[in-house]
Amino acid sequence: MKIENKSIREINSLFQKKELKPSEFYHKIFDNTAQSESVIHAHLKLFEEENRNKAVQSDERFAKDQSLGLLDGIPIAIKDNINIKGYQTTCSSKMLSEYVSPYNATVINKLDQQQTIFTGKTNLDEFAMGSSTENSAYGLTKNPWNTECVPGGSSGGSAASVAARSSIAALGSDTGGSIRQPAAFCGLVGYKPTYGTVSRFGLIAFASSLDQIGPITKYVDDARILYNSIKGYDSKDATSITDEQIKIPSDKTAKVGVIKELMEEGISDDAKKEVEKVINILKAQGVEVIEVSLPLIKLAISIYYLIAPAECSANLARFDGVRYGLRVEGKTSYEMMEKTRAEGFGSEVKRRILLGTYALSAGYFDAYYGKALLARKNMIDEFNKIFNQVDYLISPTTPTAAFKAGEKTSNPLEMYMSDLCTIPANLAGLPSISVPTGLSKEKLPLGVQVMSKALTDDSLLDFAELIEKEVSFNDEPSDWIK
Amino acid sequence: MNYQPTIGIETHIELKTNSKMFCRCKVVDTDEPNVSLCPTCLGLPGALPVPNKRAIEFITLLALSTNCKITKQGMFHRKNYFYPDLPKNYQISQFDLPVGLDGSLSIVLNEIESEVAIERVHMEEDTGKSTHMGSGRIDSATSTALDFNRSGVPLVEIVTKPVIKSAKEAVAYIEELRQLALDLGISEGKLEKGNLRFDANISVASPDSNVLGTKVEIKNMNSLRSLERAIDYEIERQSKALSNGDVIVQETRHWDEGKEVTKSMRSKEGSADYRYFSDPDLPNMVLDDEFVNEIKAQMPKLPIEKRTELIKTGLTLSEANILSKSDSWIIELFQNVYSSTKNPGTTYNWIMGELQGQIRKLDISKPPYWFKSESLSEIINLIESNKISFSSGKIILASILENDSTPDEIAKQQNLYQENDSDKILEIVKNVITENIKVIERIKNGEDKLIGFMVGQVIKSSGGSINPGIAKELLTKELEE
Amino acid sequence: MSNEFDIDDVSKLASIELEESEKEKLSKDLSVILDHVKALSELEFEISVDEVFIHPLEKKLNLQEDVVEEFLTHEEALSNAPESKDGKFVVPPSLE
Repeated sequence: MKIENKSIREINSLFQKKELKPSEFYHKIFDNTAQSESVIHAHLKLFEEENRNKAVQSDERFAKDQSLGLLDGIPIAIKDNINIKGYQTTCSSKMLSEYVSPYNATVINKLDQQQTIFTGKTNLDEFAMGSSTENSAYGLTKNPWNTECVPGGSSGGSAASVAARSSIAALGSDTGGSIRQPAAFCGLVGYKPTYGTVSRFGLIAFASSLDQIGPITKYVDDARILYNSIKGYDSKDATSITDEQIKIPSDKTAKVGVIKELMEEGISDDAKKEVEKVINILKAQGVEVIEVSLPLIKLAISIYYLIAPAECSANLARFDGVRYGLRVEGKTSYEMMEKTRAEGFGSEVKRRILLGTYALSAGYFDAYYGKALLARKNMIDEFNKIFNQVDYLISPTTPTAAFKAGEKTSNPLEMYMSDLCTIPANLAGLPSISVPTGLSKEKLPLGVQVMSKALTDDSLLDFAELIEKEVSFNDEPSDWIK
Repeated sequence: MNYQPTIGIETHIELKTNSKMFCRCKVVDTDEPNVSLCPTCLGLPGALPVPNKRAIEFITLLALSTNCKITKQGMFHRKNYFYPDLPKNYQISQFDLPVGLDGSLSIVLNEIESEVAIERVHMEEDTGKSTHMGSGRIDSATSTALDFNRSGVPLVEIVTKPVIKSAKEAVAYIEELRQLALDLGISEGKLEKGNLRFDANISVASPDSNVLGTKVEIKNMNSLRSLERAIDYEIERQSKALSNGDVIVQETRHWDEGKEVTKSMRSKEGSADYRYFSDPDLPNMVLDDEFVNEIKAQMPKLPIEKRTELIKTGLTLSEANILSKSDSWIIELFQNVYSSTKNPGTTYNWIMGELQGQIRKLDISKPPYWFKSESLSEIINLIESNKISFSSGKIILASILENDSTPDEIAKQQNLYQENDSDKILEIVKNVITENIKVIERIKNGEDKLIGFMVGQVIKSSGGSINPGIAKELLTKELEE
Repeated sequence: MSNEFDIDDVSKLASIELEESEKEKLSKDLSVILDHVKALSELEFEISVDEVFIHPLEKKLNLQEDVVEEFLTHEEALSNAPESKDGKFVVPPSLE
């Protein structure tokens, strides 16, 4: 097997057995990067110089059998909305083009403890708002499976990087599907952990009650390794939780529910086929699979597109040209702020800020944001009831495979509808994983999503691994693997 | 027409915690700008708030001591508005589920105790400080400089119901609230440092009206004096306007300390839409019975309790009120001296009048370490039993403040013990009469004023310490013969 | 409901000075979205907003000990300032 296709555990084993040096491995990956970046444009910035040194230090540790963990010397790409001290964090926005972080996000500190190598910062939809990475102020990222297509979003750069083998794994962030959808579009595993199990300190906030950082990887085990390295209670994040994992069956004694409402109109035949494939595989294993109904899922898009913009309208208010970032001059500070924000933000960001501002405004709060909160609570209750019947819920990850660049940009609502399957997990704080299962008629990857109740992340990963093994999806975007 | 004023006061109290409300940066008092900052209080991208337990304990103490209902399951809300000294362009505050609701504070005004109804007590964070550069006036500044050291400092906001009826009542309320904050140990309470800031909402209406008038908010009152003057000025301004048939505009006005007027501010039209919503970065704050009981157990003696105790000694309401707001050494001194003299009024006057005056003159803030309450008790008792005169008492007190000594020692040294024996005094009187025949003639001719002179001579010839009352009495008797 | 959306009012509240050319498209987009969410806004619920937990897992707030921790140096705090003088951030004049 090509070296860059190996799992983290396998690579680490080669390092341990001294059959491969981290610096050699890093060079191989960086060669891939050199080839792919000019076409794929997954990274906004590559940390080449500093990484050579880091890789050499990793060599020395392995030589002395003093390695720091499974991620020691492993090249991981980081989405550019996660702060790394001393480096630019742009959120793919003009607003932060020159902004250099004076601090590390907690997840970065955790990965630093193992001396993980950060390949660089990856492209995203501006401020994580979008499903295609087309909203970046710094250009498109292409899907390595078909460069006319989008890699998905908002963590499109992270997904494209792993698919093009310019990193072994990547961190993304997921607010309405932004890890799982690009993972599915790029034939990868994308995992959104239970809300609160991974610290958000240092993640530039889009929607605070929905955002989570998570891994995009080739294998479920890689996702598990990365999750275990970044999870944990953080005293710097008040939404971070301390609770223990809950164990549920992750073998053939598990009970699975297929979400009826996500197998109806709006979902392509290709996507439905993949879910049916997984259902058959599970049944063949002896797993009980039933159909379940979650009627409130039909409201998910509306709820999400009121709560997320409302929260983001306040989260993005800090970008005003006063203490950092872009500044456009004005005669008064109000004028300066208004002009700065007009120039610094792209149109999708403006759209969501205006929508959110309106949804919270006097006279409209109750009808819009207020109702969305209440509906969300009802949806959470609905999920909790269902999880008394089943252990896991499955659905397509996305209604379709990757679409062509430019195809959905004229109608924002159409773009929003593609988040239909992934949004519910964010609203309810549930752990949710996308596993690549097959290709569409156009030979583009599709994924199947598995969700379980809060704090069952370990069991979910185990169960997803079972599916991964049985599905045996081995296709690759071979253009990028030499 | 005598318009009746209705006043509500909004007070912000800076809590004296070690660290800020939503981050662990140190709360500093320094001129060096921007030295106590972190991503959270600077509003950097990716930062998150984490709440300060002590601040919550402090606000709960305040809410309990003002008889508020404690909200068991409260929330923090984001108050959204744009301003350069507000790093996130929203302030984390509380909206409809504040820590305390529907409380009251007992105040004393004109010998009457009354309750000021309190609407709410809530938690929020302070902003940074703006300095306008340029010509010095806000409206012709060339730029604004920002220091964020103060950004994130815990603030408690206390809002009264519109029940205050005069400027003096407003002042009494603030004094009471300030003392409460001091006694609870939650604030330094220094107005000049901005530890306690207040705004007033004032409206007037005709006496027979059953609706309140349009309220005007007054800001920028930096002392109790300016609070009183601003309220009085505004009441008059509104009354005059209504008398002229003008309409009161609902607005915010600034108190101009120099010109002693309130001025309209050229600010945004209409009332701001703050778009309050519950802060998704801060889960619900549950203050359960266990927590509240723990706080109750920590409650120190409140000003009203001190006042009630002091009234039992026989002090008037005003005296008890003023004493309850004095430093604890003064209250302690009073109680010790009173237990010996059993005379509350005299004890009060000696401490609050003569003693305070003398230590002020010596430029010290309290008596020196050797000063014992027994000394003051003794002075008072000696005067009461006529063994020394009142002015001798003052002299003794002054001496004790300068040197470690007892009243008895000083009285002996300076010959201050009064002679009270009438026979002995009579002897001196007779001697003085014989030495001042001419003056006696003049007195007998009607110049009664010279009796005082004669008493003085008697006292002088005795060496200073005889009972002047007895001297005068005996002298007068002798002259009549 | 969607024709009550006034782009000038909302952009003022959001402190964004939109170009005239932007306003029409944005207004239209937002109308489309608001139409979509209309169904939600017409539903009735038994609970009130004050009863809803903020955290999706209904966690309570953990209060932190009042212990000082240093974080940014003065230089780090000012490192991204568009304009500063004498250690302070400088902006055009802000009227009260």
